Parts: sequence; structure tokens; C-alpha cells
Amino acid sequence: MRRDMRLRALSGYGFISPALIFYVFFFGFPVIFSFAASFRRWNMLVPLFDARFLGWDNFEFLLQNEMFLRSLLNTSLYAVITVCASLAISLFLAVLINSARFPVLWRFLFFTPVVTPSVAIGTIWNYLYRPNNGLLNQILGWFGIRPVYWLTDGNVVLFSVMLVAIWAGIGGSMLIFTAALKNIPNDYYDAAKIDGAGIFRRFFSITIPLIQPTLLFLMATGMIGAWQVFDLPFIMGRNAPAMSIMTVSWYIYETAFGSMRMGRASAGAFLLFIIIFVITLLILRAFRKGGYEGFAEKET
Amino acid sequence: MKKAFLVALVLMMVLSVISLGSTKLVWAVHWSDFQVDGIFDEEENLTVKGVQQYVDQYMKENPTVEIEIQPVPFDDYLKRILISHTAGQYSDIYNLYSLWAVQLVDSYILDAPPPALIETVRKDFVPVSVQGSTIEGKIWGVPMEISNYALIYNKKLFAEAGYQHPPKTWDELIDMAVDLTKRNEDGTIHQYGFAFLSGWDSAVVHPYLSMLYSLEGRLFTDDFSRSLLDSPEALLALEKQLELFKRGGTDTAGSVWAFPTGRVAMMIMAPWYESSLKLGFRDDYEETVGVAPFPYLTTPANCGYTWFIGVDRNSRHKEEAWKFIQWMTIELTEEGTTRMGELMARNIGSIPTHHADLDEFPDELNDLYTSVFVQELENTISEPNVAQGQEIKVVLMREIIEAWHGRKTPQQALSAAKREIDQILREFY
Repeated sequence: MRRDMRLRALSGYGFISPALIFYVFFFGFPVIFSFAASFRRWNMLVPLFDARFLGWDNFEFLLQNEMFLRSLLNTSLYAVITVCASLAISLFLAVLINSARFPVLWRFLFFTPVVTPSVAIGTIWNYLYRPNNGLLNQILGWFGIRPVYWLTDGNVVLFSVMLVAIWAGIGGSMLIFTAALKNIPNDYYDAAKIDGAGIFRRFFSITIPLIQPTLLFLMATGMIGAWQVFDLPFIMGRNAPAMSIMTVSWYIYETAFGSMRMGRASAGAFLLFIIIFVITLLILRAFRKGGYEGFAEKET
Repeated sequence: MKKAFLVALVLMMVLSVISLGSTKLVWAVHWSDFQVDGIFDEEENLTVKGVQQYVDQYMKENPTVEIEIQPVPFDDYLKRILISHTAGQYSDIYNLYSLWAVQLVDSYILDAPPPALIETVRKDFVPVSVQGSTIEGKIWGVPMEISNYALIYNKKLFAEAGYQHPPKTWDELIDMAVDLTKRNEDGTIHQYGFAFLSGWDSAVVHPYLSMLYSLEGRLFTDDFSRSLLDSPEALLALEKQLELFKRGGTDTAGSVWAFPTGRVAMMIMAPWYESSLKLGFRDDYEETVGVAPFPYLTTPANCGYTWFIGVDRNSRHKEEAWKFIQWMTIELTEEGTTRMGELMARNIGSIPTHHADLDEFPDELNDLYTSVFVQELENTISEPNVAQGQEIKVVLMREIIEAWHGRKTPQQALSAAKREIDQILREFY
């Protein structure tokens, strides 16, 4: 019997071994290698174990470096604001479009930026943000508001990029919310209406709790993506003070390939990994109950 | 049957011997398109040689040598060297920006040139380019391109404002920039008296260094043990830049890329922008574009940077590689120029570095645009070849931009830069 079970286990491992080998080579090994590199002053020109061993110096440097700390602050602001705003707006739009005319057209319009390359989005918005004859400043001018230096003013550039990121990201979340909303049986809403619940009460007491698993998924994936943001700030923020716009991924990229400090960049990547890991755990904990299963458990 | 087999065997042996006896060199270049393939007219006749034509000529003269050109975009060139070394795959020949080369030398990547070649470089090449190819007192390759900076101005805007001549000094530039700046009703500038080059480290740092050099200041001590950003000259150079902002001669939204649209009266620029100006102004190019020496503070001076060609220490054909480099960059053709000089002047649009080349391309080097850059070579000081030079320039760029935006005073910006740069220098010197 035991032998039989052992054989079964072995054959199970045998079946998953191709995927396991792939995982080890393309994820496990690079992660371990990168962790080893983070303890060295390595410029990629010499073998890793010939590079000077620095101990925790790379991590210490980063945690005391003004530019890295600012990039952490910029990225955390970016992540919180874009994810929360994006989710709120996309949920609102999903609810509206669900009961609107021509829902397919509206979904198409909002989803188009999702499938547009970020380089194209960044380039177009660079033109819209121009201080002299950009569209946004022209609109502000109609209302007598002074032009804003959207992409060169250090006080504004991060918010300018966030605006673009929110605009570009709402379509994807909106589609997923639409699917989640369609899965809520109308019976709940009918019962609530009979009990006299108004539109907001129905939204907060029925819709939100029942789409909690979807919210969890979107928030977790949104945060993971937002914390790793590189493209839009890099494309749009090159003429602004770096302290106002640089994100952690951008800092890591520049440290690795501009400063030729792959060891320090690896340390930065590990710090970023830890931050994202902790945030994801917190989100999982906060949203762990909800949806049908969550409420079924409660009732029993 | 036996005869056919024998013939095939002999043929295979001959081919094997030939291939064993042949040398393959890989040359990674940061040029692309017409710079590599050459320029052709509508009938597909070659009008200006590209890299490929020179390589083909060398291979014809040296049948046992095969040279493969690998074009790599400039932005990816350094990454490519790093990644290819990690992967254990090397090119034999590199085009190197001198600051990158410092790290390559420190990591024992570059091969030392033959002594005879070093002597020739010292003798036959423009001093500032030799300075650029020198790292820790040794020459590591043959200079092929030198760039410096000059003032580019819009002659039409000058004439409208009543100016006959461009500014000679930085103070004159400030006065003229203020006068030439025109604002909209809402306060934004629609015509810039001056626009600063920005967007990457050299764009911001090189003009700053030019001003520092023109105050007879220096960025580092001779032994690179510390930076001199706390010197009065360093502070004054930045303060003079900020005076332009304070007096309204520019702002942080100004862009040199708007110069071809006629909305920028003056900018500091390098030689490589010529073709963009010609494209932007078309028939009005000669009437509109003026070039003058970099306006100085106390002494005429300019910051220059060098590209040189070198060989990878891991190359299995170092001797052949240096031989090809010699043929390309030092050996004079029947016209009395070097092949690299001809490529630089006629195709790439850069300033060649061999003395013989500087006199031999009047149409290209004595034209309206490039002639001033060439004249200013005598006042050009090479940027220092310091370890982690790129990182140091990024640190300095960030702090200068903080000062441009009024987020730090010049003192605060340079102190912050000095702290970080000195920490980097202590690591390596």
C-alpha cells in the first residue's frame, strides 16, 4: 500500500517535472542569482563571484539614498492613487454601462486604451500636455485658468502621469467588473427593493460584498502592476526633476544599465519584491472573505 | 564512383583548410541604416560610402578575413556589451564612448593597442581626442569622432530684434535672451530667447562643464579623489545658468527641439544636429541658422567628448582586429585622408580626429555649421575619464535640474551632488 502510494506520488512529480524544470530554470535560478548579485559590486563585465563582496552595503546604500527613497514615495503614491481611482471609476462605469444603451459601444471606447501600446499613449499625451498649444491648457484657458506645465513642473508631473495611467487602465477593470456584476442574481436586488432599499443601499450592501473576490483580484494585480510601473513615467517624465517622477523600476533600470551597478540594482529589485509581497498579503487578508462562498460560510 | 568520392573528399579538405585559415571579426557599431549601408541616389548608385563598403573593400584586399558588422542602437550599445559579456559572447571590435571605456578598462575588457599604434595616435590625432582616448594615463584605442558644443542662433529672429552679431560672452547671451523672449497673454513663452538642451545626462552636464571650464574651473582633482563642486567656479557656473531663468530668458518648458520651428532664438548644441536643422529649415537653412563659439564667462572654453575604436581582450583575433583598425583609421588613402575620416565627414556628419582629415573635407567641415565646431577644437577640453563617469553625470544632471526648477538653490544642489559624487569617488580611487 505504501509502495503504491509512493509510486503514485513519484508519477505525479514526473508529470509536473517539465513545468517544474521550466520554473526552476527561468524563475528559481534567476531569483537566486539576482539575490547573490545583490551582495556584490557587480557590473556584468566580470564573473559574478569575482566581483567584490559588499555584504549588506547595497541594501544600506539604497535605504539611505535620497533618490531611491523618493522613488519609493513616488511609486507608493502612484500605486495607491491609480489603483484606487481606477477601480472606483471602472466599477462606476461598469454599473452605468450595464444599464445603458449601446453597452458594446461604450465598452469598446473605454477598452481601446488598454490595447494601445504605452509608448503611443505616452507620446500622444505628451502633445496634449504641451504648455503652449496643448489641448488641456487650451481648455483651461477657456475658463481663465493659467496654463499648467504638466510634464515639467515637479509639483504636477506625477499627477499628470497618474491621470494618463488611470485613463489607460479603467477599460480592463471595467470589463472584469461587468462580468462580475452579471453574475449577481437579480433576486437579491428584487428582494432588497421589496424591503425598501434604495439605490445606494443596494450598491453598498449587495453589489460590493458580492463582487469582493473580483475586487480582491483587481486590487492585488493592480497593485503588483502599479508598483512595477516603468513605461509611462519614463516616456513622459524625462524633462521633469527626477525626484518628482522617478519610480522604483526606473531607478533600478538606470542603476543597472546606466551606472553599471547590477548588484545594487538587484538589491533594489529585492526590496521592491518584499514591498509588493507584503502589500499583496495585506490585500489578501483584507479581502479574504466575500462573494457567495464568504456569505454562505457566514450563514452557516 | 570512387573518382567522384575522391574529388568530393579533396574539395572538402580544401574548404576546411580555407575556413580554418580564415579569420572572422565581429564589429559592433552604433550606426544604422545609411550609415552602415551607404547613401544611394534614385538610380541606386552609391553616392556616399557607408561602413559596409569600407569593410567590403578590406575583405577584398584581405581574402582570409571576414568582418561582420553588427549595428546596435546607441541607447542599447552599452547594455549589449554588458549582456554579451555575461553571456560569454564578445564582439572583437567596439566603438566606445570614452566614459564607458573607463569601466571596461577597470574590468580588463579592453585590449591594449600595439605600442607603434599608440605612438601614431599621439602624433597624428587631435590632442583633445587623444585626451578622450586616454584612461589612467594610457591610450586604449584610436579616436574616431570628437564632439563639442557651440551656440546655434536664429539669424532672422536676431535681425527682427535688431541684433547684428551673436553674443560672445555669457552675460551678453543673457541680455539678448531676455530681449528675444516673447510671451503670450497668459504668461507662457511662445518665443524663447534661449532653450537649454536636456533629457539625458550629457545634454545637461556638458554645457555646464563648458561654463565651468570657461571660468578655468575643474570638476575633479587630478587624482579623482574628490570633486570640486564646492569651488567658487562651480557655483558661479550654475548661478549664471540660473540667471537666465530668473531674468525670464528661458523657462523649464523650453525645448531645443523647437528650434527648427523658429520659436527658439538661441541654443547650445553639438555637431550631430546639422541634418535635423537642414531638414527643419529646408531652403531657409542658410538664411536662418547661425553658429558661433560657446559664449564664455572669462576664457573661451568648451567641453568635448570622444568616441574611439578598440578591441576586446577576449577576441581570438586581436592582431587582425588591430590591423583592420589601423587600415580604417590611420592609413591614408590616395586622397590623403583616412577611411574613418571620410566616413565621419561625409556620411555620419561628425568631426573626424586625424589631422589629415580636418583639412581635406572642405564641403563638410568648412560649411556654415561644422566649421565653428572645428575651429573651437582648440578651446575644447575633454570631459574627464573618471570611473563611474556616467553615474556621476546622472547625479550632477539631477541636481542641476533641481536648481533649474527652483527646488534647490545652486549651493544646495551642488552640495548634494558633491556628497554623492565624492562617495562614488571614494569607492574607486
